Amino acid sequence: MEGKKPHNISGLFDEAKKLKDGFLSFQIIHVLRNFHDKLSTIIDDFPRLNDIHPFYGDLLHVLYNKDHYKLALGQINTARNLIGKIAKDYVRLLKYVDSLYRCKSLKVAALGRMCTVIKRVTLAYLEQIRQHMARLPSIDPNTRTLLICGYPNVGKSSFMNKITRADVDVQPYAFTTKSLFVGHTDYKYLRYQVIDTPGILDRPFEDRNIIEMCSITALAHLRAAVLFFLDISGSCGYSIAQQAALFDSIKSLFMNKPLIIEMKLEAMKTLVGHGGEATDVSNVLLTMSTLTEEGVIAVKNAACERLLDQRVEQKMKSKKLNDCLNRFHVAMPKPRDQKERPAFIPQSVLEARAREAEDDAGKESRKLERDLENENGGAGVYSASLKKRYILAHDEWKEDILPEFLDGHNVADFLDPDILMRLEELEREEGVLQGLEEDDDFEMDGAELTPEEQAALTEIRKKKSLLIQQHRIKKSTAESRPTVPRKFDKDKRFTSERMGRQLSSLGLDPSMAVDRARSKSRVVPGEGFKDSAQKKKAIKIAKSSSKNRNKEARRGEADRVIPTLKPKHLFSGKRSTGKTDRR
Amino acid sequence: MRLEKCWFCSSTVYPGHGIQFVRNDAKIFRFCRSKCHKNFKMKRNPRKVKWTKAYRRLHGKDMTQDSTFEFERKRNRPERYDRNVTENTLAAIKKIDKVRVDREARHHAKRMKPKKAQLQREAARELEQNISMVKAPGALQQDPSLTLPIKVKVSKPEKVDNRMEE
Repeated sequence: MEGKKPHNISGLFDEAKKLKDGFLSFQIIHVLRNFHDKLSTIIDDFPRLNDIHPFYGDLLHVLYNKDHYKLALGQINTARNLIGKIAKDYVRLLKYVDSLYRCKSLKVAALGRMCTVIKRVTLAYLEQIRQHMARLPSIDPNTRTLLICGYPNVGKSSFMNKITRADVDVQPYAFTTKSLFVGHTDYKYLRYQVIDTPGILDRPFEDRNIIEMCSITALAHLRAAVLFFLDISGSCGYSIAQQAALFDSIKSLFMNKPLIIEMKLEAMKTLVGHGGEATDVSNVLLTMSTLTEEGVIAVKNAACERLLDQRVEQKMKSKKLNDCLNRFHVAMPKPRDQKERPAFIPQSVLEARAREAEDDAGKESRKLERDLENENGGAGVYSASLKKRYILAHDEWKEDILPEFLDGHNVADFLDPDILMRLEELEREEGVLQGLEEDDDFEMDGAELTPEEQAALTEIRKKKSLLIQQHRIKKSTAESRPTVPRKFDKDKRFTSERMGRQLSSLGLDPSMAVDRARSKSRVVPGEGFKDSAQKKKAIKIAKSSSKNRNKEARRGEADRVIPTLKPKHLFSGKRSTGKTDRR
Repeated sequence: MRLEKCWFCSSTVYPGHGIQFVRNDAKIFRFCRSKCHKNFKMKRNPRKVKWTKAYRRLHGKDMTQDSTFEFERKRNRPERYDRNVTENTLAAIKKIDKVRVDREARHHAKRMKPKKAQLQREAARELEQNISMVKAPGALQQDPSLTLPIKVKVSKPEKVDNRMEE
């Protein structure tokens, strides 16, 4: 809203109305646009029967009835126009309305009318048509086509299955195929459409139903090679006469189309009365069987060939070709000499072919390892011999078991064809070395000890070790053993006999030493004793005087005596330097 | 199947024993037992660990290069089986082993030879010094040969009444 203040209330309303005007008319226009767009899409996307290929036009007519179709589309068109008109009128009216309320009600009315128009339009029929159309087979009317026709249940669909990858329903009842089916097949590097039609019965044109009309349409409009199927045996349920009658009635449709009549189940050409007719129309009579697959390919090839010829012929006749012809040039190599150069076929291939020609059916495949395994007890029981196919110098080596280790070595590391030679060299070397070694050994024997010396050495060592042992014992028990001076001889080890033994073991005569040691009680003249007994007694008395004292551990004459324990001179006086823990 | 060598102590690793360690640079370390494996994890250098072959070879305790080692070489190309060659090889392996063992023994003896001379000298010296422990010098003077004196049993003397002699 602008900044200026209106003078009167109606002016105020005017302002508001103008704004609302714009907005409301915008709403109407918006709705109109939506409807218009949607309806236009519908109308435009549906094909116009006059603008499409007559084959499709006729097909659509057959399926949906041209008139109904046009009516439906026309209805939608009218609806579209009506809506447009409504919108335009109301938008114009909006301009001349004074009050806001009126504007709003106008808008409501406009929208309401548009909605009623739309409600009256039925789209269900068109929707069905749309869905059905989407599923129609995509047949190119201009390209090479083979058309399969004939009575119902003669085998058109099975033939179709054989030559193309289409998977059409094949059932024993008639009218299994209810619409056109397309398949594609190749011949001489070109793609051919193959169209399977529903069966046609021999009836007057007006009585035909939609399904038959489909095939009639196809026959009429498509420029294709026609394969007319005949069932001689009558397993389709119709006699030859009926089929012949049908053929006659639709003969007119075969104008300008290469025709091939198929005879199912290997009937002889001469059998059929059609042989006579064959000369009239330049058609070809072929036999085939879809069960045993004989002749199927031959039929296809013949049909394709004839179609191709016809098309090429037509192209040649047309004026357009002359423009293109100068653009074609097939280059053929000029033969430089008269030498024949046929295609090269390797010898093995020729042999294989010869072999194939010989044993045609009864050719056995070679025995597989798997078969061998199954014969000998199956997977868990039989273990395949992996050595069977070894290539060795001698065949009996195949079953050899080769050790991998020997004495802590890998055998594979030593394998060598000329190991014997090298071994010989080695042994020679070794012999030489051994000789040298012996010489060395002889030199060394000078400083050996004689057996006597050896014996003496062992004795010495024995004695030494004994001493060491004793010392060790003494040392280890030193803490728990009382230290008794040797003279008291606690263990009574220091006897003269012992001394004598030791001396004699050293090789000395011990007698003098033993005597001297023993005779403590020998009386020396001048001592004052009468005889040794007296001396002994005297010694004994002397000992006994001190015996008790010693036992009681009392102080004896030789023991140290401190006459005064606390002499005054040591315990008096002033403190001088020194420690106080001792006086 | 292959017998491998332990990376640490160079002893043979038989199938079913030991541990293999693959490093990020795709080098494979094989160990014969957890002792070697643990030493490796401690980053010990086998050339400094006394009981390994690496140390012994480095310090000349064991034979290092010899023509018997040339026979055993890992070949990466598989050879076509030939029975005669295999038979010869199997017999040869034993002989080569014998030669190798002999040579190692010789090496060891050569290594120990100086010690022998020293031992002999020491023994002679010991004998000379300590002969008095088994044979008194007096006896040695009388009988200079080293025959040991026979131990004579000393009998107890009869009671001699040592009267004072006038």
